[in-house]
Amino acid sequence: MASTNASSWPRRISSFTSSPSQFLSGTTADSFLDQVLHELRDDRISESTKVLLLTPFLEHPTILCPFPAVGEETAVELLAIFCQVPHKSLQLRCQLLVAITSVLVCTSCVSSEVEVAVGFLDLLYQTIQDTNDHKNGQQFYYLRLTACDCLREIETCYPGLLSQKLEALYLLKQQETTPLHQAYSLLYTLALKNAIRLLSLQKGGADDDLKRVLAGNEGFAWKAVETPLPPYPVSSTGQISVVQTSTDNKELKSIVSLLLEESYLLTPLSQATLLRELIEVVAMVQALSPAIFKSQLVRLIGTVEITLLHATLLMKSTFTDSLFTTEDENFFIKRLVSMAQHPLLSVQQKLFYMDCILHFPENRPISSNGEESLPVLVTPHLAASLLPTVFNDSRTMLCRLSLLSLVYLEADENDDKGVGYLFSHLMALHRIVENHGTREMTVTYFKSVFTFLTYFYHNEKFTDDLTKSISELYSKHCYLAPNVINLIDRIQEHLEDPKWSIRLLQALQKLIVELPLVQMNIQNLGWHLKILGRVSQESQVSQGKTLCFLLSVLINTSLCTTGDWKMGSVVLVVCRNLLQHPSLHRVFTELADLLQYIMQHYNDVDIQDHARFYYTLLTNLSREKLSGVLTKGPNVEQTKVRSLSSLMAESEGLSNCLTVQETTGTVLKLTKVHNTNVHRVSQQTDSEGHEGEDVLTFYRKQFSSPGFSSKVILEYHLTYAGDVDVTFDKLFSICLHFDLTDSNYEQVSDISVPCLFRNRKPPVVRVTLQPRQPYPSTLCASAMFTTDDGLSWHTQLEDIPVCFSDVFLPLPVPVGWSQEKREKLFDHLWSSMCEEEPGQSATSLFCFEIGNQELPALIESNFSAYLISQEPEKQSYKVMFFLPPQFHVLLTIANAEDAVQVRIATDNWDFLPFINTYLKSVAPQTPRS
Amino acid sequence: MSVRALWVFSHERGDGGGGGGGGGAGGTVCFSRRFPTVERRAKALAGALYVAVPEDGAVLQPLLTELGLSDGDKAFVLSRDDCARPQRSPALELRVQGRDRGVLWPVLALVQGGLILACLVLVEAPPEPRPPLPSLASVSQGLSLLAGLQAFLCGTGAKPDGEALASKLALLPSVLLQICPLGTPLDAPQAGSVAAPGPSGSQKQPAWKPGPHRGRAVASVSLSETVRSMQYGKPSRQDLWDVFGTVNCKCEVEGVLPNVMVTLTLPPNGSPLQDILVHPCVTSLDSSLLMASSVDDGDGSSFSGPYKFPFSPPLEPFRLCSYTSQVPVPPILGSYQLKEEENQLRVTATLKLHESVRNSFEYCEAHLPFFNRGHVNNVDVKVSCGQLEVSREKSLLVWVLGQKFPKSREVTLNGTVNFSELSSGPRDPLCTGLTAYIKPENWCLPSTTSGTLLAKPPSPLRSWCCRGTAAVAQQNWVVLEVAPPAVGRTEQHGKRRAIA
Repeated sequence: MASTNASSWPRRISSFTSSPSQFLSGTTADSFLDQVLHELRDDRISESTKVLLLTPFLEHPTILCPFPAVGEETAVELLAIFCQVPHKSLQLRCQLLVAITSVLVCTSCVSSEVEVAVGFLDLLYQTIQDTNDHKNGQQFYYLRLTACDCLREIETCYPGLLSQKLEALYLLKQQETTPLHQAYSLLYTLALKNAIRLLSLQKGGADDDLKRVLAGNEGFAWKAVETPLPPYPVSSTGQISVVQTSTDNKELKSIVSLLLEESYLLTPLSQATLLRELIEVVAMVQALSPAIFKSQLVRLIGTVEITLLHATLLMKSTFTDSLFTTEDENFFIKRLVSMAQHPLLSVQQKLFYMDCILHFPENRPISSNGEESLPVLVTPHLAASLLPTVFNDSRTMLCRLSLLSLVYLEADENDDKGVGYLFSHLMALHRIVENHGTREMTVTYFKSVFTFLTYFYHNEKFTDDLTKSISELYSKHCYLAPNVINLIDRIQEHLEDPKWSIRLLQALQKLIVELPLVQMNIQNLGWHLKILGRVSQESQVSQGKTLCFLLSVLINTSLCTTGDWKMGSVVLVVCRNLLQHPSLHRVFTELADLLQYIMQHYNDVDIQDHARFYYTLLTNLSREKLSGVLTKGPNVEQTKVRSLSSLMAESEGLSNCLTVQETTGTVLKLTKVHNTNVHRVSQQTDSEGHEGEDVLTFYRKQFSSPGFSSKVILEYHLTYAGDVDVTFDKLFSICLHFDLTDSNYEQVSDISVPCLFRNRKPPVVRVTLQPRQPYPSTLCASAMFTTDDGLSWHTQLEDIPVCFSDVFLPLPVPVGWSQEKREKLFDHLWSSMCEEEPGQSATSLFCFEIGNQELPALIESNFSAYLISQEPEKQSYKVMFFLPPQFHVLLTIANAEDAVQVRIATDNWDFLPFINTYLKSVAPQTPRS
Repeated sequence: MSVRALWVFSHERGDGGGGGGGGGAGGTVCFSRRFPTVERRAKALAGALYVAVPEDGAVLQPLLTELGLSDGDKAFVLSRDDCARPQRSPALELRVQGRDRGVLWPVLALVQGGLILACLVLVEAPPEPRPPLPSLASVSQGLSLLAGLQAFLCGTGAKPDGEALASKLALLPSVLLQICPLGTPLDAPQAGSVAAPGPSGSQKQPAWKPGPHRGRAVASVSLSETVRSMQYGKPSRQDLWDVFGTVNCKCEVEGVLPNVMVTLTLPPNGSPLQDILVHPCVTSLDSSLLMASSVDDGDGSSFSGPYKFPFSPPLEPFRLCSYTSQVPVPPILGSYQLKEEENQLRVTATLKLHESVRNSFEYCEAHLPFFNRGHVNNVDVKVSCGQLEVSREKSLLVWVLGQKFPKSREVTLNGTVNFSELSSGPRDPLCTGLTAYIKPENWCLPSTTSGTLLAKPPSPLRSWCCRGTAAVAQQNWVVLEVAPPAVGRTEQHGKRRAIA
């Protein structure tokens, strides 16, 4: 295999890590792994390049090592490399430890049965023995750090693995005085926690067990790998199992106290981790009192570090009143409130503290469902400092607004001073938006209005003002129509009482119909019509004014002559909604006039037609029939009427009928049709060629005609993907669309399938591929279809793998060619590939043992379509695969004494890894080389 | 307590001024790191509800949408602007499309300059029902890691420059190998370079200090304070102001764990400090020191010092503590008036130093920025004291007042400014129309104060005025005592110095 230029590795590695799927479309994981390992073994490669080469193992070990066996082999290789790396290559050695850990853990190779895992764990454990670098010197400092972290990660993934080594770990932690004691402390504490958790799940008295565990100094507890621990219950509702100890355990108590005392020496992040483990330890051991944390509390609460305050909060939620008195609790919540608005903390931190206030673990909670609720202690007075202001960024502003809304909602109902403040805040935002505020400000304003309304929709004093101010805002900036409609839609979804939104719509309707026509331009009119369209959906709003307005616009402005289809359709949306309106009888004449006017004067024929259609419906159908025809519902019988009549309905109509809906799960899949290999040749020449002409020259000449044998057709059954909803029992007009994941193939054209019924035979889909490079690939497929209720759907199909062997074609030679000629061509090609200067072509050898299956049977089942010649008595075969656009893979297969030898020749050495993988899949047993 | 993946993206923000316009926003992946062993745990914890971390390309777009940075050229996009979409927690919810479809939660993100730092943290609980954010230990760790990463990549500046950023990004893999090799961080990235640890002694060396300091003992302390104020100039509306400050230290003292104490005392009638936050190196705290809170009434019994901060210093400069305070009057009262006159603005400003403030500064200046207009073109402004500097590109007038106010303690500025209509100057979402602010900055010994003032127009009047100010709030109250370390040689003494 050709080695890759060392300088190209940074690019290759980064393209692998950023998108493994795309990268692997050009090669196999297998060969990439081989190449990386090969480079890592090469002494000439620099350390920094090797560090880089290990990144794929750090990030995607399971892609490189898809099976445990590969993981194990890889770990063996990496460990061997680790042993050879000189001690001074520190970063490389550290990176190797991390890489091996990732590979072993992710391929589930951590087990006593796997030799390399046992060896690696011993190596890690040996590495951390050298406390204070007494023996090996300071160059091992970072190696020990990494080894500690690797052990910690393995212990986290397999809790209890270190549970028999507690005493030894404790001693190491005590001896270490360099900053590394932090890593040792964390490792010990984690092991201690997991050991105690194991104990807590056992039955019976645990005094002696606890003593025994603390004094443990044995090997790894491999049992932990086989029976993983259930996760520790995080929420306060989860039941924690407790270690039943009868006596006061002094030893454990002093261990925990010492860890706490020394926690000050740890970095804040590590301190928080340590505290979190100790909280769990104390919670699990009855004999330990939570008061053990008391001495640390003031220090922790006083720091600016978010992790430490959070750890204290976790203490609070675990131990509630056994650690925090009512006074403490009061102090804590005040502290949280003041931190949530501290001018010197970051926005993220403050948002988090506000979240903490809303989920504050009270000593005596009123409800304990874990949902957002306001602690009793947060009074309007306390929360006053969290009032939103226009200087807040939008997230903080929204967070404060909803927090304060909760506060004032629960406060005295007669006093709406607080609500009044929130409202004046909305008005301040309103003015900014009015003054052409940024898009972000506009969105924040509408979000704030939504939040305010969800809490205070019942307070008419404010909601009336809000109606006024929004219509005022709209009158100045009608481009805000989508925001306003979105607000109305959401409010109606969230509140049962639609009163407010109706009032707003009425106000907007009034505002629009009273606008002087002189001020109307096409752009504004578009927004106004959108609003009127929304208004016409409401049965409680009378529509007479809307109709008069529309008619007057059509008659008095140039809309009929200059308006386009889009504009016309917006007008028709209003008409269509009105046809369904309960008070249609009141506007019957006006609507008829309007439709008539449109069908006679509007500039667009399609609009005219639709107007005519609506007019006919209006004048010929009774109320009941009309609503029967137009009502949308899941009723299947109305399919045809719906697709015609609702074509013009926007908003709801659009989302229902015109727009394509996304399916929630996979509905369809493509399964490969087998045994069709033989029929895949797409083009054959008829001419036999001149008699005397050299077969190779003739063969090569064929390719000069454009498109000669350049396509591969793959056949699939289009079927349902498992049990899907009954809605999808009958699908029509299915359009399959394929996206390439790489550039190895030309674009695949869409495929139409007329229909798919559940109880009928699945249709066959032929996908035509035109390779640029015939490498394995993956196609992303999606489908659009219509169900029999007239709705259109879009769904994603499972990815379709295109294997290397899918692209094989039989030799593209005239049908009439004799056996002799074919063999001659084969020999010519073979020798040309062997003779050529080492450029693109390559030869190789592959051996496998033949099992019970006889070779002829194997040949028959796999290569029959590609056989050039066979001599069954000698057990020798010649096979040729043609791969478009013009590549060949030639095989001579012969049964030697104890193995089948496959000689390979190809005119593209890039194929070798793929051929290897393919032959492995064909061979009955594991190959020997 | 672990991170599943970490990303650094860069993005160009479309200029989203006004009701539209500006370009779209795109982005590129600068750095990404996944932690597969954590991922394996996430998979086991989430079971059937597991959503894998998608490839980098699939993360960027939903992240931009969630941060409101996508489609900058479109005024309304439902997926981004839906008013019912909660957008108030530090944890984002990314809806990933395409092959690895699903919802990623909780994603923490931090935007600075053109950079987006993001990480997905591990949820150590069953995913349904979604656990409350504060119950997840990983969240604060993730936030802390991102904040450290931000300091590491951007330093103190708001916008990292290209080259410095590239070299920092190149260092990132080896930094992560030390502090977070397998997804569970030991520490946040440090802004400075990490010195190799020295040889071990008998005493445990703190993990946040690679080794003891050797050499002369020096301690410096600096204090800065900010006053923000809104002054309406109307009896009907009460002026508003607040004060906050920080104490920064650099202590070079010998010993593994030397003890140093800084004591702050208030002058007579000084306002007590509130909401005190200390650096984690402070060893112990009097709980009464933490009791004073701005959200309280101040029940009379409030603590008024001396404020003692015993600590063992790290090697690098650090912020010892920060606080807020409530002072009875703002140190500078001001009025600032803008009037629109054909193509130009008439500007009038007055600043008056409060008599309780000592009239002596290292230097003093007032900034008058103009937003959402063209660049400053012509300036015809007279000042009663000091001189005026004009920065045309920044559309900024700097009124340099020198080292003291005149005897009357009052200075005035008036004149006209006009703007070129061709170019567009700096933008600000709030300072539209005739909304603007004036920002006095003073440096003084022995304590430091700076201040900003911002105001909004009380009503849509054509002109409005506001008074603004900032200045020294507490005088002469920094008393620094550096106690000699308990362990160490006897000849060393903390050097007293206060830096401005």
